[in-house]
Amino acid sequence: MDVGKVTRRRFLVRAALPTIAAGVGIGSPRLCALAQAAASVSVLPASGPGPMPVTLNVNGRAHELRIEPRVTLLDALRERLALTGTKKGCDQGTCGACTVLVDGRRVNACLTLAVMVQRKAITTIEGLADGDQLHPMQAAFLAHDGFQCGYCTPGQILSAVALLAEKRATDEASVREWMSGNICRCGAYPNIVAAVRSVAGQPS
Amino acid sequence: MSLIGRPVARHDARAKVTGAARYPADLVRSEMLHCKAIFAHRPHARIDGIDAARAIALPGVVAVLTAADVPYNRYGLIDADQEVLCSERVRYVGDRVALVVAADPQTAERAAKLVEVAYTDLPIAGDALSALEPDAPLVHEHRGTNVLLHQKIRKGDIEQAFADCDVVLSATFTTSWQEHAYLQPDAGIAYYEGETLVVETAGQWLHEDLRQIAAILALEESAVAIRYAKIGGAFGGREDLSVQALLALATWKTKRPTAIVWNREESIVGHHKRHPFHIETTWGAKRDGTVVAVRTRTIADGGAYASTSVEVLKCAAIFAQGPYRMPNVATDAIVVYTNNVPSGAFRGFGSPQAHWAAESMITRIAHALEIDPVDVRRKNLYRDGDTEATGNVLPAGVSAIAVLDRCAQESHRRFTPRAERHAHASLRRGVGIASGIKNVGYSFGFPEQSTATVELIASARIERAVVRIGAADVGQGVHLILRQIVAETLELALESVAIVSDDSAQAPNAGSASASRLTFMAGRAVHDAALAARSAWERGEPPEATVQYRPPATTPLDLETGAGTPNYCYGYAAQGVEVEVDVTTGVTRVLKIVSVHDVGRAINRQQVEGQIEGCLAQAVGYALTENFKVRDGKILTPHFSTYLLPTTLDMPTEIVPVIMELADPHGPYGARGMAEMPLVPFAPAVAAAIYDATGAWVNDLPMTPERILAAITAARERTTASAASLVGASSSPA
Ligand code: FES
Ligand code: FES
Repeated sequence: MDVGKVTRRRFLVRAALPTIAAGVGIGSPRLCALAQAAASVSVLPASGPGPMPVTLNVNGRAHELRIEPRVTLLDALRERLALTGTKKGCDQGTCGACTVLVDGRRVNACLTLAVMVQRKAITTIEGLADGDQLHPMQAAFLAHDGFQCGYCTPGQILSAVALLAEKRATDEASVREWMSGNICRCGAYPNIVAAVRSVAGQPS
Repeated sequence: MSLIGRPVARHDARAKVTGAARYPADLVRSEMLHCKAIFAHRPHARIDGIDAARAIALPGVVAVLTAADVPYNRYGLIDADQEVLCSERVRYVGDRVALVVAADPQTAERAAKLVEVAYTDLPIAGDALSALEPDAPLVHEHRGTNVLLHQKIRKGDIEQAFADCDVVLSATFTTSWQEHAYLQPDAGIAYYEGETLVVETAGQWLHEDLRQIAAILALEESAVAIRYAKIGGAFGGREDLSVQALLALATWKTKRPTAIVWNREESIVGHHKRHPFHIETTWGAKRDGTVVAVRTRTIADGGAYASTSVEVLKCAAIFAQGPYRMPNVATDAIVVYTNNVPSGAFRGFGSPQAHWAAESMITRIAHALEIDPVDVRRKNLYRDGDTEATGNVLPAGVSAIAVLDRCAQESHRRFTPRAERHAHASLRRGVGIASGIKNVGYSFGFPEQSTATVELIASARIERAVVRIGAADVGQGVHLILRQIVAETLELALESVAIVSDDSAQAPNAGSASASRLTFMAGRAVHDAALAARSAWERGEPPEATVQYRPPATTPLDLETGAGTPNYCYGYAAQGVEVEVDVTTGVTRVLKIVSVHDVGRAINRQQVEGQIEGCLAQAVGYALTENFKVRDGKILTPHFSTYLLPTTLDMPTEIVPVIMELADPHGPYGARGMAEMPLVPFAPAVAAAIYDATGAWVNDLPMTPERILAAITAARERTTASAASLVGASSSPA
């Protein structure tokens, strides 16, 4: 080994490793594991299958994409189609910010692979209005001030649209129950429920 | 026609319902470089070396930045004790040690795994109490102590006062961390526009972000511009820098546009939380319900860096006796460095924790004296002209009693009558009430100002106005409020008032979106600037004015006695809640909330109600569901699957926001701030309701079903034991 090429940092790492591997320091097994994991990354292939053609039908338009089968619908919408109205709040199916409609049913786009929904009709927040004419649910969220920061709003609105189509919005309790997958950290819940009920034709 | 109080719609509302509103992550373009921060993921360690050679060798990697790349590697809102990238030591799991800059997110992620960091783990200061032990590991060695602040307040003769009391009660309370969980995770972009380095993110204070970033890069402030995209919630959580400094560094180093998008776990690990408190308190009262003495020792976990800890603790100190006049006070408020996630600003800023103890105690005093808790509160609440524990006379406009009375009336009307509350054997209902006080604006001599420019477009009459003020709209709707105030002041239609607010280079410093202060402070600034611009126009001068509004001055507190003038304005609140407790499981639901607030003047009633209802959702989480767990410095709840945010199902159907308008002497049109107040008395009101339902007090937040059940069981055992000892006592003489 050419000693002259050992940088200070590399030297420090090497100097530190034997000490730690000898069991001095609380986190020694972790450091070794980290080093091994790092070593394995470079020898294994980067990921699963490579890009493949995927056709997504979004808001009435067909889009031909070449994406890896591991790409979620959420990332495909946001990063490949520049449809950023659909939001990412957790990427784990726990917040509802990414809710879109697939053949009229609401799904968490972060838990859905894009390849799974080929040839299905996908509706995002950008596809709800008819030109300048807001969808009644959008108009109701406006009228009832059903948001503050607005980050959860696209997901809330799509969830609400599907809920009405599902004919489950029979009363206040059912609206709350069936909207409970959409978190609003600003806590606009009373106004969200009022907006949904107004479109469902219920007095609030 | 008055615009004040009208529920006019927000001008950004349409964009928010159509998906057109652009938040920081929506600004990312594929041609930008992508950054990935490498977190320490260990609570305390020496950095022995960082080897980035293999990462840099990966095609697509542009740079791996470390501490050596940061011109001035120190920052912080109050005390610059944090490094952008750690040089020698990491002090909590969220510390950043390196930043990978690569052509795309996947490459950045892979490269991050190739960076080898060698650490030697160090013993940790795992919690505030152990960090105070004499042999505790030091988080910041050069300080020689883990104590960040020890604020004392002394008033009267506490020992004599306790000796003269008819009832003296003591208890120990704890609270946990609270995660802001703003739904939009930290993200942003940076780029050069000509010579100017632009950082476009979400935050709470453009000009403070600017100050800190310019200092970190050793640049003139004029060489940097901070812009805010739409902000997806903040709640105090965006007061400290998170991704902003990383972005600025990456673009400054590479001279290329960069982007960073944190996932939820990175956001939770990487930004500060609400302080956990340990509170020991003793309250003494006379038989007639007058509380005369309160002694409190509060120890808070400040985590690894100072953030706003000292201010939070001083606030907690002045509210140790709640909103009550108190002749004898001995308060010790201590905040301690630990190897936990830093604690800092979160809606309420120390006041919710202080009230958790204070409001629980005053209810217990009432019970001990067999007096209605509302009457005991009324007897002791602050009145105009009263003196605070710090020795100053309260700012004028003290409305605590009127607010409580209104709350008691509304609650009485709406809540289930006592006789019907225990109709079901296992589902018990109970009601509770609590009062609260919270400062509006900065405290303790922290420089407080808000600056606005108003330009008029006028010929024979004033036709339009453009307001410039760098006030962050975090979702609370302040931009609309400020337009309403200017439109009202100049008798213009709302549509004729435009606002420029999201660029530090285009709008003057409003101060932060925090401390419930923008309606008051920025509201006064735009109001006064509008009047000054109109006067200029009337005098035939250019119709434009810049006004810096400064409220009545505050002063620092004496460290030993607490003497000083802490605040220039307070908000007063009272809340009644009805709960239902399943006594077999401890599961508790809040059924009804009455939340009464003196807002001075509601500039926009719909938004005031929105703030009350929204804050209550966070209050329900704080009281019952949000259980942020840390063990040995490691965060055990870094996802929403384990950190449970309230959903619409957790909120009661009956939420009654009651807005009172008892004008503040300084606020615009009498308005005072209110956005934090609903979090202040809520948890102790719930605790009182749980006690009413079950006979058991819970002393620890959050009140999880396990804790409630344990309290119920313990209360039952105490009752059985005392019944048994009574039997024993009466039977022994026989
Ligand atoms: S981002 Fe999909 S559920 Fe949160
Ligand atoms: S409006 Fe902010 S999260 Fe719902």
